[in-house]
Amino acid sequence: MTYPIKCLQCHAERTSPIVCDGCHALYPIPQTINNFDLMGMPRTFDIDERSLTAAYRAIARRVHPDRFGGDTEEVRTLATRLSAEINRAYGVLRDPLKRAEYLLELSGGPSAAELREVPGPVLAEVMTLREEIEPAKAGGDATLLNTLRNTIEERRRAMLAEVRRRAEHVGESSPEERAKFRRLLNAMKYFDNLMAELALDPLAADTGGST
Amino acid sequence: MDAREIIVGIDLGTTNSLIAWAEASGPKLIPGPGGEDDVMVPSVVGLDERGGIASIGHEARLHAVERPWTTIHSVKRLMGRGVRDLADEISRLPYRVERRAGEEERDVAAVIVGERAFTPPEISAMILRELRTRAERHFNERVTKAVITVPAQFDDAQRQATRDAGQIAGLEVVRIINEPTAAALAYGLDRAEQATVAVYDLGGGTFDVSILRMEGGVFEVLATHGDTHLGGDDFDQEIVQLFTREIREQFSLDVSSPRIKQQLRTLAEGVKLRLSERETAEVEIEVGEGKTYRRSLSRGEFERMIQPYVDRTIVSCSRAMQAAGLTPADVEQVVLVGGSTRIPSVRRRVGEVFRRKPYTAINPDYVVALGAGVQASILAGVERDVLLLDVTPLSLGIETMGGAMGKLIPANVRVPCQASETFTTFKDGQTSIKINVLQGERELARDCRSLAEFELRDLPPMPAGIPKVEVAFLIDQNGILNVSATELRSGRAAGVQVVPSHGLTRDEVARMTREALAHAREDMTAHHLIDVRTTIQFDLNKTERMLDRYGHLLAEVDRRALRASLEELRTFAQQCDDPEQMNRRREAFNRSTIPLAELAMTAALQAEEPKAV
Repeated sequence: MTYPIKCLQCHAERTSPIVCDGCHALYPIPQTINNFDLMGMPRTFDIDERSLTAAYRAIARRVHPDRFGGDTEEVRTLATRLSAEINRAYGVLRDPLKRAEYLLELSGGPSAAELREVPGPVLAEVMTLREEIEPAKAGGDATLLNTLRNTIEERRRAMLAEVRRRAEHVGESSPEERAKFRRLLNAMKYFDNLMAELALDPLAADTGGST
Repeated sequence: MDAREIIVGIDLGTTNSLIAWAEASGPKLIPGPGGEDDVMVPSVVGLDERGGIASIGHEARLHAVERPWTTIHSVKRLMGRGVRDLADEISRLPYRVERRAGEEERDVAAVIVGERAFTPPEISAMILRELRTRAERHFNERVTKAVITVPAQFDDAQRQATRDAGQIAGLEVVRIINEPTAAALAYGLDRAEQATVAVYDLGGGTFDVSILRMEGGVFEVLATHGDTHLGGDDFDQEIVQLFTREIREQFSLDVSSPRIKQQLRTLAEGVKLRLSERETAEVEIEVGEGKTYRRSLSRGEFERMIQPYVDRTIVSCSRAMQAAGLTPADVEQVVLVGGSTRIPSVRRRVGEVFRRKPYTAINPDYVVALGAGVQASILAGVERDVLLLDVTPLSLGIETMGGAMGKLIPANVRVPCQASETFTTFKDGQTSIKINVLQGERELARDCRSLAEFELRDLPPMPAGIPKVEVAFLIDQNGILNVSATELRSGRAAGVQVVPSHGLTRDEVARMTREALAHAREDMTAHHLIDVRTTIQFDLNKTERMLDRYGHLLAEVDRRALRASLEELRTFAQQCDDPEQMNRRREAFNRSTIPLAELAMTAALQAEEPKAV
């Protein structure tokens, strides 16, 4: 469906699939709509985060149940469900990894449940890193931990560059390419988990920075 | 025609409760009979031996020492909890708390007074009713809708219990908001366009820290952390334990009677408050047999005693920042909320952590209620430019095979949010499925809080594993869970029966609402009085308008008589306290206006006629 279309309540033209610009009538989310259209954003990996946040806020403001305090239970429930959907869509688009995954799935690529593999060398690499992290954490070796953090961050950056490249061309890629993309995304999750294990206490991190 | 409906904002605190509402100029606290400064109602209920309400608030607190068994304080700490969760808590309370009798599966805590057992929402409802009465006297109008605040860390059961308390008090709880978020709302209205703010909220019983981003009227909570069992009560308890130990050592006396326990508690609270102002505090307690325990406590000593608690709050601050992906350098403002933030060492530590002087422009005891008032005005449609986007404080999940916690929605996700999961049957012909819903951050189901057991019913009988029931878990803007289920093969909605693990069922809340009404006959009269007064005002206004427009159609003498009786009823309605008598006068007055009404009707019809023909 292309917007604007007419509002069934006030017959004004509406630009959003879920709420009328004029009379604030709410509409259930159309089955066929994707997260980009829902948020009124272009379907691309290189999304402008500021405009995404601005778009999210604008629509959240219009469908939040607090705006419908005086309406019927039915309308308030719809507002709650729509807000949950908006929050979910925003969560997917805001996170580069989730956004890439979503683009892959939109173009018919395999989901994480359908293809669980990672590129061969990655498993061994992650295993080696994990073996280094454990004793460094236990021993409180700050220098070693920092080195590990930098190593992983470096790898993530390189992988993210590849994610970006693949995401931009996912529409015209072959099934083999899409499977490769999926394995890359799976691998990134491993590195994200490693990073989470190395997460700094913000208070300690800050003290470290100032000395 | 009617004035906009009043929605009040209520801070239902562990120690004190307050009520507010927002007018065009901003939120205001609603004072009690004691005048402008009488805005705090101590969250204390004095019951009589038969379980009736003897006193509420200041008066109840005065009787705490002489009647410890029937003076119920800090009931907020019991809300939505079972006796098993509360073992430590209960041993410190001077009144009796037991598992409610006659329950097989559920563990619902009840306060026992004489023959009667009260659930925590029923006690909280007594405080809410007192606040509601204050508001009704203030507005001279019925008040039936409220926003109530809860600690951000409250789980679904505690939030439900709060909503139940409102209902029992005759209030529709139109919204539950988190206390630190409310505080930000109170502060945020006249603040800069953009800011990242940490709200450190240490109250009587609970601790929360929330990190918010405020931008263009949107209040976005980035993360929250805390502890629902950490607050000023714990500090009092440390002092009580010190005194108890020393009395035992010096006089070989065991202080365990509820009366002395309560006396010590009151003394300890006083010592704590004094140490925020002064370097030392002196105490003297008659311990019987002509012996006196004397002690001087220094601020330093007190600060060392509470340090482990303060340390825990600092760890929470760190976790909240981590979850928000921020460091202290990103936080531009730190706001202090809750009476316990008056303690100098708390202020100092918070200042050190965030490396800036905490902000305290609004009284930390008032700020949450004021914020609730702001949220009330948002819901009433008075304030249209502000929007609150909050998060769920705890992960939500279900118990999976083998007793693990299967996470469906992680902590710090923005609400409203929704997750769904598909379930099936294990036996042929099985028509129901039970799901244990959990909240918490631990790996095992038994280490998390069980919210309720949901039973999916009326499934069509099919071979094992064939039915597919999709269950949607929706956490709404109040942080309250709503569950719905659909059998996917038949497309039919499945019935969901909820058995709360520690809370009340819908039927129980309805019964308690009726009982509370019966127990509050005096209130009923007050409400009734307000209703009748409002109706009379309405009738008087209507008659006045008719007189202005059509009065010339009446004979002069009749017109004068009607004006006189109108004024007479107006005065009478202000002075009379008996609704029945007022109603009789109102009816008599309305009969006397019939001739005028008929003239007015005829005149109106004649004016219409040319159009009708």
